[in-house]
Amino acid sequence: MTTQALGVSLQYSHSIGRGEFSGPGFRNPVAIARGEDDMMYVVNRSYEYRPDGKRVTICTVDEDYIGEFARGVHTAGVTDIVTEDGSLIWPTSVTLDRSGNVYIADEWLNRISIFTKDGEWIGKWGTEGSADGEINSPSGMVFDADDNLLMVDSKNNRVQKFTKDGNFISGFGSAGAGDGQFNLPWGIDVDTDGNIYVADWRNDRIQKFSKDGEFLMKFGSTGSEPGEMNRPTGVAVDRTGMIYVADWGNERLQMFDPAGGFVTLTTGEGTISKWGKDKLDANGEMWKEREIAQGIERERDFWGPVAVTVDDQDRVFVVESCRNRIQVYRRQEPTFRGGGRL
Amino acid sequence: MASADIELMAHLMRRAGFGATYEELEKYAAKGYEAVVDELLSPMEQPDLEMDLLERYFVDWKEMNALEVNQAYLTYRMINSERPLQEKMTLFWHGIFCVGNSKCEHGRQIQHQLDMFRELGMGSFPKLLLALSVDPAMVFYLDNCMSHKDAINENFGRELLELFAMGVGMDGHANYTEEDVKECARAFTGWTIANAIPRYPYGRFPSQFAFNAADHDYGEKTFQGETGNFNGDDIIEIIVRQPSAARFIARHLYNFFVADEPQIPAWQGTPPRDMAAIKEMEDAYFESNYDLTAMLRVMFNSDWFKNARFEKVKSPAETVAGTMRLVKDFTSPKPGLHPIAMEIRYMGQDLMNPPTVEGWHTGQEWIDSGTLVERINFTADQMGNVTLPGVKDIISRLSSEGINQPGAVVNRCLDMLGAYTLPEETRTYLVDYISKAGELHPGTEAYGGQIAQILQLIVATQEYQFA
Repeated sequence: MTTQALGVSLQYSHSIGRGEFSGPGFRNPVAIARGEDDMMYVVNRSYEYRPDGKRVTICTVDEDYIGEFARGVHTAGVTDIVTEDGSLIWPTSVTLDRSGNVYIADEWLNRISIFTKDGEWIGKWGTEGSADGEINSPSGMVFDADDNLLMVDSKNNRVQKFTKDGNFISGFGSAGAGDGQFNLPWGIDVDTDGNIYVADWRNDRIQKFSKDGEFLMKFGSTGSEPGEMNRPTGVAVDRTGMIYVADWGNERLQMFDPAGGFVTLTTGEGTISKWGKDKLDANGEMWKEREIAQGIERERDFWGPVAVTVDDQDRVFVVESCRNRIQVYRRQEPTFRGGGRL
Repeated sequence: MASADIELMAHLMRRAGFGATYEELEKYAAKGYEAVVDELLSPMEQPDLEMDLLERYFVDWKEMNALEVNQAYLTYRMINSERPLQEKMTLFWHGIFCVGNSKCEHGRQIQHQLDMFRELGMGSFPKLLLALSVDPAMVFYLDNCMSHKDAINENFGRELLELFAMGVGMDGHANYTEEDVKECARAFTGWTIANAIPRYPYGRFPSQFAFNAADHDYGEKTFQGETGNFNGDDIIEIIVRQPSAARFIARHLYNFFVADEPQIPAWQGTPPRDMAAIKEMEDAYFESNYDLTAMLRVMFNSDWFKNARFEKVKSPAETVAGTMRLVKDFTSPKPGLHPIAMEIRYMGQDLMNPPTVEGWHTGQEWIDSGTLVERINFTADQMGNVTLPGVKDIISRLSSEGINQPGAVVNRCLDMLGAYTLPEETRTYLVDYISKAGELHPGTEAYGGQIAQILQLIVATQEYQFA
């Protein structure tokens, strides 16, 4: 279901994914980053008891499987958790620097792991704490135009800026519900002017800051009406300044104009993906079961839309943690540009 | 030794909940027994768990589509719920109205059923039975979706009478006939579920109850001596009026909360352990128009409940959740919960996957040489971990009280774990053990280790296996 308030709209393109603990597919995906050549990096959190499903999947927008890297480790009983370099416990986000290296945040380890674009581990940093440059449960991350890393330091209720190798540059934010304050913030993005947008998760709003951390505006309030939010997890801004919000608790994607005005929303339009079709072809009886299934239209709906990103072709990618799927949309312009007909 | 008030409160919280720390027992005792019972019986006045936070960190809990994921969630609830009796009643009904993952293979669907028990499990019995009869997991588990007007499947109809609401018999006579079973099954024809969406490629979707009028037997039926064109809800209305329904629930409540009883197959020929207690609960059932909270109130405020100390073998769920509450671990999301949840399975209670529709046999049947070793290893591991907040609290309290005599240390450790008492021979063994370990110097690191050892020995005793 798509509700349209203005001329700008979202057009559904296709779905990517299926549920898998390894190989083509995802398992409780929580974050996505777009790379060059239609490449995508998808962070899989997996079930707590299946650390083998924790990984980063590399695939393309056209759903070609490239590979995967990083793995979870078992976290048994009262023994200390021992983690090797490059392993994952509670991965939360992924972002790419200018040269295409992949940065993964782990909110349990308070560790940023760095991989090449092919998934080779090349470094880590992160120190737990609350002083400048220390972190407590890193959530969203994004690189700015200067190739510095902006990180949502969620349990410290702030945003911190680091060099790529983890040297602290600056930070802003504190705990609370006032302007410039946060309550367990989650996602983050920057626009073409360097302004910073933060999904202020437990305050049910999006806040916008200048690149220096000065509060500029906020929008959203608690609720389920259009424009209201229930625990927004992800935020993304396209090249025209349109803002996309993963409205996690309301199971929908919302689109706002650059001033924070509500534009449109969708609760999902998912269709069978390529990998999904492969899975059904390999389990032919399920095609028949689908024919008689009642309520199969529920398959279109988002379930756990946790992360959103937008690329320079105005394609919007919504990650669904519970459906192991990414729904792809495209922003549609209201203006007639010629070449068509009445 | 702990005061009589603390001992009684420890007893109440072990039964109506999953135990409590000594500090909590002191607070409860200050409120007074009946006030605490009232609080337990009003769970909605206490805050629920903050699901948004839990689903943020335990990402798989938003989906909850695998048995082990659900078991971890259920374990977390038992450890942390501020509505302990609501959680205990959920476990109570889960042990009676059984569905199993081995057949359903859909953890979330069973979770929905447990949510229904949370919502209705302390209210009206007929409403609960009606919700059970339209619960998709139950409809599937007991094949009511395979019961048709021209070819009934008796499975649900039979178990509704035998295992869910009446029991085979009481006071030496049968509670229903084979004809009642068939008529009951006829009344529930057409109570089915919609065709499900297959699990591949995007996972399961909740199933939906459906009433198929075309497949319902609208004909006349005679059930429990009454005749009419009964539908399923009419059958439930007749069932709950029967003395056998009152007896059935009262005996189950007694077995679960008061003292171990013979298992359900023996109930027809074996009188209740305490007929007067059962009668009080039966009266409350009818006087309250079949209200479960009314029965619970009579039970918890009775002398026969208060005096039934350590008359029950703890279930695996009680053992694990109760121990975790004492050591205060996993009070907020963190990795490593799955192995804790699995301990309940290893001790013989695979939650959401009972062995049969009859559920788990309780009492002494929980214990065998394997499960006893699991219990002792698990509880001793926890109590021996001096980094856990609850263990630290106990050490800190004994230190601050300056307790340095072996006998006093053992007594105070017994208090801290919930006012346990040990036979003199066992207690003497513990006192001798700690005496040989050297002098006790409160506040030192060595003292903490010595206290932890005593705690480990206590949880390894036979007495700790009882609630």
